[in-house]
Amino acid sequence: MADKSIPIIVVVDDSRSMRAFFERGTAQLNVELMVFESAVKSWTYLEANKPDLLFLNIKMPGKDGLIFLKELRELPLHKETTVIMISSKDYAQDRTVASQLGAVEFVTKPMPIKAITDIILKYIKTDSGN
Amino acid sequence: MSKSYLRFWGVRGSYTAPFQTHLSVGGNTSCVEIRVDDHILLCDAGTGLIPFGNEMMQQKQVRNLLIMLTHYHWDHICGLPFFLPAFIPDWHISIFGPGQSSKDIEEYVSAQMRAPYFPVGTETWLAKIKYLSPPQNHNFNHGPIAVSYQNVHHPGTTYGYRINVHDKTILYISDNECLYLEKSINQQYAEMSIEERELYDNLKTEEYESELNLFRGADILIHDAQYTPQDYQAKRGWGHSCYIDTVNLAIDAEVGELYLYHHDPNYDDQQLEIIHQHCEQIIRERHSTLICHLAREGAIIDLG
Repeated sequence: MADKSIPIIVVVDDSRSMRAFFERGTAQLNVELMVFESAVKSWTYLEANKPDLLFLNIKMPGKDGLIFLKELRELPLHKETTVIMISSKDYAQDRTVASQLGAVEFVTKPMPIKAITDIILKYIKTDSGN
Repeated sequence: MSKSYLRFWGVRGSYTAPFQTHLSVGGNTSCVEIRVDDHILLCDAGTGLIPFGNEMMQQKQVRNLLIMLTHYHWDHICGLPFFLPAFIPDWHISIFGPGQSSKDIEEYVSAQMRAPYFPVGTETWLAKIKYLSPPQNHNFNHGPIAVSYQNVHHPGTTYGYRINVHDKTILYISDNECLYLEKSINQQYAEMSIEERELYDNLKTEEYESELNLFRGADILIHDAQYTPQDYQAKRGWGHSCYIDTVNLAIDAEVGELYLYHHDPNYDDQQLEIIHQHCEQIIRERHSTLICHLAREGAIIDLG
């Protein structure tokens, strides 16, 4: 059973490399990392659970991150979930839509590993970071 | 006897190019008709939709069609307010495009026809309009035409369509910025740590494979080739491809025939011929069997 005192970070990204990237970015933090390769595969978990931080890629096979975020926001559980977009699509339109859907940050790939660590520390309290 | 063909009604990107110097290739914005007998599928609804609609008004055989939008930028929807069949009661028109629901699609399509931007709204359409709900598996059929779609690299949610007609696979990807992430990684490579370089080298390989998979299996690829290398330098991040990237990816993915599409309205017929010739040169130098065409307004491809 998960330790409820450990913050949960969920990443939805189809890229295998990005999974490794997040593993390195959270290695020194006392957080639980859960990575899903698509919006559909994350749905069962997210329908019932609110992570402390949710990283969403935009361009993925199947449902894209912007449409998925709109869908998530319609669930009472996720009205206030802290969401960070991570995308190779560095376009103003995507930033605007993400912001309208309440994403608090928009990070473009490639970002340094430290950028992930810093964002996590900015939005959640962990034993390792605070 | 079966009548199956693809016809280009609009081949420009961004905005119309109704200039004498551009009309050999064509001035209307994105619209491609795919027809199998009486089943008609329109890819995008740029100004090319208007002459298509006018032609439909001259016949009585077909009263049903499907319009698939890649996205809702003006050059892909601005033919709809002037699409005559939509104003005729006995027509049945289905519309599909990006969105969470059929209501989203209706909202996006209707928005451009609201006051003060247009004098009449979609409520004045007399045809039976059906906005399609997004299917769970991203696949649907229109008569004998099978369609699936994927997200591509362009501002906002934008689809590329894979269309199967008889034994042919057609890819319609009007707006897609090829190799964007790879180039972003290359630009920042010098500042990366060894660990980051290793991760991003893997990501580059993964991304390239994903881009090839998008193209693979295409007998006919209709793809964004909007910019010359010089213009791409200035317009990187605008959501469109440099034609050199398009042709190289099509070669690597072993595409059958490539139609360079979504032509920049600033390029006249002569400039587009030069782009086409350069693509042919690249194909020769790479000893590829790819057949490359400039998409031209009015051109018809027999689909057997």
